[in-house]
Amino acid sequence: MLTDNQPIEATQDRRENLKIIGAISATCAFPFSAGELYGQHEHPAAAAQAALPKPSFFSAAEMAQITRIADLIIPATDTPGALAAGVPAYIDYVCQRNEALAKTVREGLAALKGPADVATLEQLQAAQSPFFKAIKNLTADGYYTSKIGLLDELVYKGNQVLAEFPSCTIPEH
Amino acid sequence: MAEKIYDVVIVGSGAAGGTLAAHLARSGADVCVVEGGPKVNTRTDFNTHSLPHEFPNRHIPTMKPGKPGFDSERSRGLGGKTMLWNAVAWRFSQRDFKGRSHDGAGEDWPLAYADMAPWYDKIEREVGVCGNLDGLEDLPDGVFLPPVPMKCSDLIVKRGAAKLGVKVIHVRKSTLTQARGPRPGCHFCGNCMAGCDVVAKYNSYDVHMVPALRTGKLTLQPDSVVREVMVDANNRATGVRYLNRVTKAEGEVKGKTVIIAAACVQSIALLMMSKSARYPTGLANSSGHLGKDFIPHFTGGVQCFLKDLIGKPTTNDEGFLDHAYVPSFMHNRKRDYARSFGVQFNYQNRRATGWARDVAGFGASYKEAVKARFPAFLTFAPYGEMLPHAGTYVELDYEKKDQFGLPLAKRVLGWSDHDMTLFREMTRWSKDILEASGAEIFAVGEKPQTNHELGGARMGSDPKRSVVNAYCQTHDVPNLFVVDGSVFPSASEKNPTHTIMALAARTADHIAQRAKRGEL
Repeated sequence: MLTDNQPIEATQDRRENLKIIGAISATCAFPFSAGELYGQHEHPAAAAQAALPKPSFFSAAEMAQITRIADLIIPATDTPGALAAGVPAYIDYVCQRNEALAKTVREGLAALKGPADVATLEQLQAAQSPFFKAIKNLTADGYYTSKIGLLDELVYKGNQVLAEFPSCTIPEH
Repeated sequence: MAEKIYDVVIVGSGAAGGTLAAHLARSGADVCVVEGGPKVNTRTDFNTHSLPHEFPNRHIPTMKPGKPGFDSERSRGLGGKTMLWNAVAWRFSQRDFKGRSHDGAGEDWPLAYADMAPWYDKIEREVGVCGNLDGLEDLPDGVFLPPVPMKCSDLIVKRGAAKLGVKVIHVRKSTLTQARGPRPGCHFCGNCMAGCDVVAKYNSYDVHMVPALRTGKLTLQPDSVVREVMVDANNRATGVRYLNRVTKAEGEVKGKTVIIAAACVQSIALLMMSKSARYPTGLANSSGHLGKDFIPHFTGGVQCFLKDLIGKPTTNDEGFLDHAYVPSFMHNRKRDYARSFGVQFNYQNRRATGWARDVAGFGASYKEAVKARFPAFLTFAPYGEMLPHAGTYVELDYEKKDQFGLPLAKRVLGWSDHDMTLFREMTRWSKDILEASGAEIFAVGEKPQTNHELGGARMGSDPKRSVVNAYCQTHDVPNLFVVDGSVFPSASEKNPTHTIMALAARTADHIAQRAKRGEL
């Protein structure tokens, strides 16, 4: 009969803890026997953004409207905006697979009767238009889940190895 | 060759099934674990490190391409929900086990904290649980590895909560903060609930079952969706009947003792599907309580931005998810409801940016507002305890069948006045604590949402009012056990898995002792 796993000590010694986790290298390779290499582990650099198919759902005129609106919702400023992040193609991709959403967007675009401007969007927003909400959601989703949006604009820093979790340095106030 | 008859057949391989399997195999019993899902390689099969932009629809799938598993409740995979859990590990307190005695409502457990304490000890030593020794009566300390430091945002909430006399403590999790054997300590790389590919976080497959395979006493049978517990004319369980997950071919596994550990609702469903002339409403349901007394936790939740962090540089604070917790503080205060709530908070996965949709406006100012708020976003989720009542239960829906042709389990949630009072109060407290912490309240959950499914095959000493006894043995069938959240007679507000594992260890010991005495 096997015994239980080795008991662990009820230690609360933070220095000891830091010594151990401090030994973790940036690539996080642990010296364990073959077959139990749980620790051998690398975090590669962020992968490229998945290519989206060429827009095929909306017409060229509709795509021109969508592109204009996405650019108004998240414009390029001192950082890239929705167009650089490929948001129009994302909107086409999602609407092709979501009939209800496509209907809202398509009807909203038709009601615009041409390119939108800031004033049009302000009116739609004030009127709580379902079309405005739909296209804003799509633009926000497409942008903030893109590589540009999450990594460059928001500066997401997770998904990396920390040798130790840093204690907070914000002064008491 | 004679048909193999195992000493113990266990249905399910999660926190309960995995713990039972390891403990029983180590005691010398010949054990077979029957799991509906496939064998999953923790290191390579989960999308642990993916970012949304790697997928055209920007949804990160649970599994890598071509890797099966975790696609339905009946076929998750070896390790069950422990593969994707957040690993929060509390001991229940004496109040949690004796809720009726404490506030006159709901049920007491037929056991006390003192009965469970040695088993919590055992599990903590075995799997490694990190936490701080806080000395709280209602949240007993245990055998802990060092806790993880709090984030800046935790400390901001801690200061705010203190103004209202509310404590914030280090979270306790079944996650290593120091290397142990083949498992490294946590290196804070990200979202624990996407699967921990280094097994710093406990999962029952790698931590309990893989080492137990070395005993030569444990057989794992994945891809086998159990549809029925077989019972003979002498009222003895003889094994289980299953469908192959891929081919749908039927098969049987025979055993002298059968343990159902398929996770709350699926365990209830399996008992209901195993009905017979003797048990017309479900196996081991002579009490009529099977499916009743369903008491999942409920939460609402507030999303906010901490003003102190708006516009500050981002930090890597996603790893390990939540680092802190608000333990129950209302249970000894004057209140117009029974039981209490605790708050899990600051566990947001920063890869998920859906909140940006609801930041007001558009244009450059909108873009600036989202960017400034990204490091300040915080979710705050109070978890409340439901009392059993007639309006909330589990039943089978024979009109709706799943891919295996088995009836789907249906959860019926009828919110009682008590539940809604507690829900409103825990939401109000959440807003108060956040406002005291200098938060800009962003969104408030208006309706209770359930999580942590519990009850439905409850434990009790009266066979007329409960399904199993204090050793998780069914009152009706002496060699049939149920071990998972379904046996909880009251739910506490604390995350249940640690208690499920301690119960599993206690039940395994009970079965091993009885086997030694020749009683099985």
